[in-house]
Amino acid sequence: MNRITKHPILDYQERNEVNFKFDGKKYTGFENEMVSSALFANDIKEFSIHKKGNAPQGIFCANGQCSQCTVIIDGSPLKSCITPLHEGMDIRTLKHLPELPATGQEKFDHKTETLKTDVLIIGGGPSGLTSALELAKLDFNIILVEDKDQLGGKLLLQTHKFFGSQEDSYAGMRGFEIGNLLESQIKENKNITVLYESSVVGIYKDKKAGVYKNNGKFSLIEFDGIILSAGAREKSLVFPGNDLPGVYGAGAFQTLVNRDLIKASDKVFIVGSGNVGLIGAYHALQAGIGVVGIVDILDQVSGYKVHSDKIQRMGVPVYLNTTVLAAGGKGKVEKVTVAQVDEKWNPILETAKTYKVDTLLIAAGLSPVDEFYGQAEKFGFNVIKAGDADEIAEASSAMFGGIIAGLQMAQKLGKKIKISKEYYEKSEVLRSKPGEVYPPFEVEIKEHFTPVFQCLQDIPCNPCTTVCPKNCIALDKKLGTIMDVPMYVNDDCIGCGLCVAICPGLAISLVKQVEDTYAEVMLAHEYILDFAPGDLISVTDIDGNILEKAEVLSCRFNKKYKTHLVTVKMSLENAKKAIGIRVQDESVIQPMKETFLDFLPDNGIVCRCERVAVKEIVDFIKEYRVRDVNQLKQIRVGMGACGAKTCSILMPRVFAQAGVDWKDVTPGTIRPLTVEVPMSALVDDKGEK
Amino acid sequence: MKNYDIVIIGAGSVGLPLSYYLSKKGKKVAVIEKRHSYGRGENKAAIGGIRATHSDPAKIKIGKMSIDIVKGMEKEHGIETDWITGGYLYPVYDEAKEKALKSLLATQKEFGLNIDWIEPKKIKKLVPGITEEGLRGGTYSPQDGSASPLKVAGAFYKLSVEAGTDFIFDEEVISIDTEDDLITGIKTNKEEYQANVYINAAGGNARELGELCGLDLPVYPDSHEAGITEPVKPFFKPMVVDLRSDEQSSNFYYYQNYEGQMVFCVTPEPKIIGKDCDSTSEFLPLAVRRLLAIHPRLKNIRVRKTWRGLYPMTPDGSPIVGWTDNVHNMFLAVGMCGQGFMLGPGLGKIISEMLVDGTNDYDFILKQLSLYRAFEGNELLK
Repeated sequence: MNRITKHPILDYQERNEVNFKFDGKKYTGFENEMVSSALFANDIKEFSIHKKGNAPQGIFCANGQCSQCTVIIDGSPLKSCITPLHEGMDIRTLKHLPELPATGQEKFDHKTETLKTDVLIIGGGPSGLTSALELAKLDFNIILVEDKDQLGGKLLLQTHKFFGSQEDSYAGMRGFEIGNLLESQIKENKNITVLYESSVVGIYKDKKAGVYKNNGKFSLIEFDGIILSAGAREKSLVFPGNDLPGVYGAGAFQTLVNRDLIKASDKVFIVGSGNVGLIGAYHALQAGIGVVGIVDILDQVSGYKVHSDKIQRMGVPVYLNTTVLAAGGKGKVEKVTVAQVDEKWNPILETAKTYKVDTLLIAAGLSPVDEFYGQAEKFGFNVIKAGDADEIAEASSAMFGGIIAGLQMAQKLGKKIKISKEYYEKSEVLRSKPGEVYPPFEVEIKEHFTPVFQCLQDIPCNPCTTVCPKNCIALDKKLGTIMDVPMYVNDDCIGCGLCVAICPGLAISLVKQVEDTYAEVMLAHEYILDFAPGDLISVTDIDGNILEKAEVLSCRFNKKYKTHLVTVKMSLENAKKAIGIRVQDESVIQPMKETFLDFLPDNGIVCRCERVAVKEIVDFIKEYRVRDVNQLKQIRVGMGACGAKTCSILMPRVFAQAGVDWKDVTPGTIRPLTVEVPMSALVDDKGEK
Repeated sequence: MKNYDIVIIGAGSVGLPLSYYLSKKGKKVAVIEKRHSYGRGENKAAIGGIRATHSDPAKIKIGKMSIDIVKGMEKEHGIETDWITGGYLYPVYDEAKEKALKSLLATQKEFGLNIDWIEPKKIKKLVPGITEEGLRGGTYSPQDGSASPLKVAGAFYKLSVEAGTDFIFDEEVISIDTEDDLITGIKTNKEEYQANVYINAAGGNARELGELCGLDLPVYPDSHEAGITEPVKPFFKPMVVDLRSDEQSSNFYYYQNYEGQMVFCVTPEPKIIGKDCDSTSEFLPLAVRRLLAIHPRLKNIRVRKTWRGLYPMTPDGSPIVGWTDNVHNMFLAVGMCGQGFMLGPGLGKIISEMLVDGTNDYDFILKQLSLYRAFEGNELLK
């Protein structure tokens, strides 16, 4: 079974086992886990066969948004990623089109319930939750619509410690812990009604929203204001083999691995060096999954330097100026070929290398889920965007931005309140992109522990300064905000290790000289310990170069921050540079002997639902003088189950490839429903079933 | 100033085939379209039915020609249109409708329509799972069918370009100059054009275009709402038209398209007058109620998208085709009453033959669809 039974951060819980059949064979899974996860746990990763080209389809969003994971369950086509597993389910691969089951001559009652609320909040992630709490404090009634069975959004998928500040955004806590904390606050609040497993599927002109409630009932919600906090969706990438089972988003990966504790892969390759890709690598390693490498076409890492440093120390190479050429394999990903690019981003084929992997994660950036905003604005409704739906940034920024969104909505609805200027300034800082990078600090080793900071880039983060019981750590004053880098200011360090334990970047060590020749170094470690005092481990510098095999002197576990503090013995010179412990063996990252270049450059899929390749679209744009994305429906682009959510993000590039300036193109129209709703959701059954 | 033999205003369901047939006959044709591309008005909102099943000779004739043209598109030009010869089925659940439909059969047959009354047993076979309670039978015209409006529009655009038509997008006609009952030129926001004949094929904007040269065209759009589901394995072929009405709607019709998706459309009652195509919350519950009332088997299918489109209506539910008395070089092909997609191809061919070949064969159509008719009565099968 592909289950993660041991994880350094997450607890594995045994659940009720149930039996099910897949294509006639017997399997077991956990009751109420998503069918897709039960299938993955049993190493079943091919869910359907597309009618176009008989192509096998794997999971893609794991988020109920696309429908690539559709399987036939007890005769009905259902998205496996949002269908809970039950005893005795008969699950089958969906081959081409499903058959619509015959029914009796039923008669139906039709009643559409209409709920009323002051504020409708779409999305129970970090910004939606904080805005709900803020509005509830001001006595507004809130309906919060969340498509999962738990609040917290993507916070729940994050096993790493968060940046930001302890005061405003729970810095130092791990994402899922913050999510659980916020959910408990929401649950206690009487002004907030949460609709779980529900999706808003349309905003209507008559000031109502259509909601597919509890994945079973279509209802309407009347509102005075809407906060759109639906988060972001992952951008996809076009390359040959991009629709093979095994190519999917980092978000789906996090869902499988960190929510459902499924060992989704043995070895992954990651495209994109933003925080999502970097953290994806970190999550994979924690789950015991090999990470062969991260590529980015840009010439520098897009995410926080501390994240990328951390990943490289653990043994994952980050290849810059490098792109993915193709994914290959028979009916699933078996290998991926990457190559460096020239200044014009054209691949240099001579540099191509092929790696044997079973999964390729796409972390090419995020795009706001904000389509309802434009519609609501057009209809003249009170509407505010918050979190990633407003601007892609860290969750710490989303949480603080949610508070402001709540206050702004209160103002719009007539509450006479003031929003302090300081709030806007803080919000600005929290959403900042990483700033200047500084050279390494001069390190002076003393005879008692003192901190060494390998935190060399301005990012919005300061928990080390607030956690230190002796107030030894302060931020530099260059910018005068929490963007500044930390410094050791009073020589009162008692060696407690709290700064080492809380640092989200694992970028602080404590060092002390013991004799003339060696020093002790305290390092943070967020993996299952596979060593003990007396063992030799590979300790690295900030860039991941192994400094020496150092002897472990002691291991201490900080429960609050779920971080091991590992003290090692090192040479004085290396001790100054030591910051990480290698966790992944070199053998994982080696390329295959032969480079695989047998692919057609133009056959990357743009529209995944209808399997339309980039060449087909580019040719069509040229031949039919297309200047309106909606026109591509003529070749079925955007007509599929996902409602053009995935391909719409790719359109500017596709049109550019056809020689058409995006400025001259009318974007695709957003129409209801944004998620498919079965007709049965609009009827009350009566009579025979 | 640009000169043409014929300038057509509107690159939609009517303008596209019309431009093709005129260019093919050697005319120098321009199509002026205010939108970015072809078919972006009401064509894209059409659900795809093409029938000759009408109640009057003109529309039966035009419909038959449209069917032949679209059906033959792949064979003749190698362009796919997703055509299905699925027929049109009007199942009947009450005596009055049975009487009304049966009374039409004689005329329909007289004008060459392949249509007959069929018994419930046959209907149940044609549409497995259709509501049987109260089903009295219905009319069935097996040669009608459906195609993809997007693909048909694309096909005519391609053919028309190949035949030499100039398509002028992103230009809106802002004024029409007239002198002694003749148009001397038209201006768009970018350019001036002159032609011997100007054709108003402006769909939902036909009335406004007419006003620019002093014409009072009785074309008033109202909106209908449509939807589409996920695809399932094809299990029935005809377009099913439910003529029953309820408190919110009159006609309801649906079919399973080439891709396997159910496509459905509701005629709201009372009518929603005007050009507003924004979605309202009432539609989905209404459409589902109507669909499941006639076809409960569809209960488990998922609705994918809904939209609204305009029906440029005339007072009697039939189009306006022909010359005008006020401006002698303006030809009208307007007021399609939501049937532009199914009438456009036939109408384009017919008008091209009238204008270029000078045939009198279609005078009965001109007479019946004249701007100067009485606009009395109301077509049952609109």
